[in-house]
Amino acid sequence: MENTKELILIYKDMNSVSSIPANGVNIMLTPQFYTIKREELPVKYAYQAKRIAPSLFDALLEDVQNHKYFVVKEENSWLFIAYDVEKIKTFLEQKGIELAQVSKVYFAEQVADLFTAPVLLGEKEALVNLNGTITVLPQIVLNPDEKPIRINTSFTPKKGVTFEGGGKSFLATTEAYTLASVFVLFAIIYFVEASRYGGENEAQVQEMQVLLENYPSLQSSYARKSISDKYRIIDKKERKKRDVIKVLSHMIFKGSTLTSFLIDDKKFQAQFACKDKSVAKKLQELAKKEKFNTSKVPNGNDIQIEGTL
Amino acid sequence: MIQLKRYKNELIVGIALLLLLIALIYKQGVVSGQSDVSAGTSLQELKEVIALKKVWGDKKITKKVDKLKTIVSPSKVKWSKKSKKLTASFLNLSNQELNRVIIKIMNLAVEIQKLEVKKLGASYHVEFKCKW
Repeated sequence: MENTKELILIYKDMNSVSSIPANGVNIMLTPQFYTIKREELPVKYAYQAKRIAPSLFDALLEDVQNHKYFVVKEENSWLFIAYDVEKIKTFLEQKGIELAQVSKVYFAEQVADLFTAPVLLGEKEALVNLNGTITVLPQIVLNPDEKPIRINTSFTPKKGVTFEGGGKSFLATTEAYTLASVFVLFAIIYFVEASRYGGENEAQVQEMQVLLENYPSLQSSYARKSISDKYRIIDKKERKKRDVIKVLSHMIFKGSTLTSFLIDDKKFQAQFACKDKSVAKKLQELAKKEKFNTSKVPNGNDIQIEGTL
Repeated sequence: MIQLKRYKNELIVGIALLLLLIALIYKQGVVSGQSDVSAGTSLQELKEVIALKKVWGDKKITKKVDKLKTIVSPSKVKWSKKSKKLTASFLNLSNQELNRVIIKIMNLAVEIQKLEVKKLGASYHVEFKCKW
């Protein structure tokens, strides 16, 4: 899409631009707006090269801090382009080009090979490929037999830079992308959680439906409550009775014999015959542990244990 | 188009924020839907009722109760079953027989109304009343 946009060559002596297409334009800067350097560096990635770019231009530029850098890998070297964004912005505005109208910014050096003939810059200067480097020369030094060419959209390189919207945007691109990434990340987390909850929910509903189909009498919540209340009371009471029987059965050991036992809905009572006092004491301790009431039967070592349910 | 491009960054953040809000609302919707199910009749509650019904409303319990009569010699058993109520006496039981009877009673899902054990000499006498 970007490559189909009109490509305007930007040079110092250019006239003001009267009309810009509604979908914006791409611009190509002449060397009047940038400084280049080619270096053979042992780096693999553009971001690594970009990191060392300022140090390469230390001696060439006065205000390194105000410059930005564009880096392109060439066959055997890296092409470094330093440009002053503010200066370019000011120039474009002077020439009637609003930054919002500019899609991409390119550098003539990027397509040096396409400059097979001079490209005229107004009446006095021309853009020429001089030993592989795009240079601005006075037209007077050009070979009169050489026919000048005009640039068109076919000169649009693959990579370019984007200038932020003329200071009218509230967010810088980096901030915007960081914020958007955080929001999208959270959105993904929420969607994943929701689908997990949804899956569980659906599985529960399905399981419930299967159970209700198998137990149609439980479909009414009133019936369910009534059945639940009825059986819960029975379950609690009967479990307690069985627990008491189980605990008392553990009190039958060597020297301790069960002589009588009674359990009903409200209480229980058991009597144990003990061989001697020590057995009786042990039995009493065991019963105390279970919080049962104990009493000694007169005239002997028998122990009576009782409690309520 | 150019106006949109001018506020491209804001637009990106806005769309991402909108996506986040949609995701949040969607999640809340799903979660509240789930709590509606829990509030009404939770699956856990239903399972519990079914489990209780299976134990205490067992339709085969009458047959299981009848088996109690057969675990000791018939001469030692006095059996009286009316509708869903049982009164049984087990006489002259040895220690092992007493254990067997008590374990069987404990494993029956019936309401024990009365369980009485008495030692008479070397044997035991058991009286059991229950309903289901």
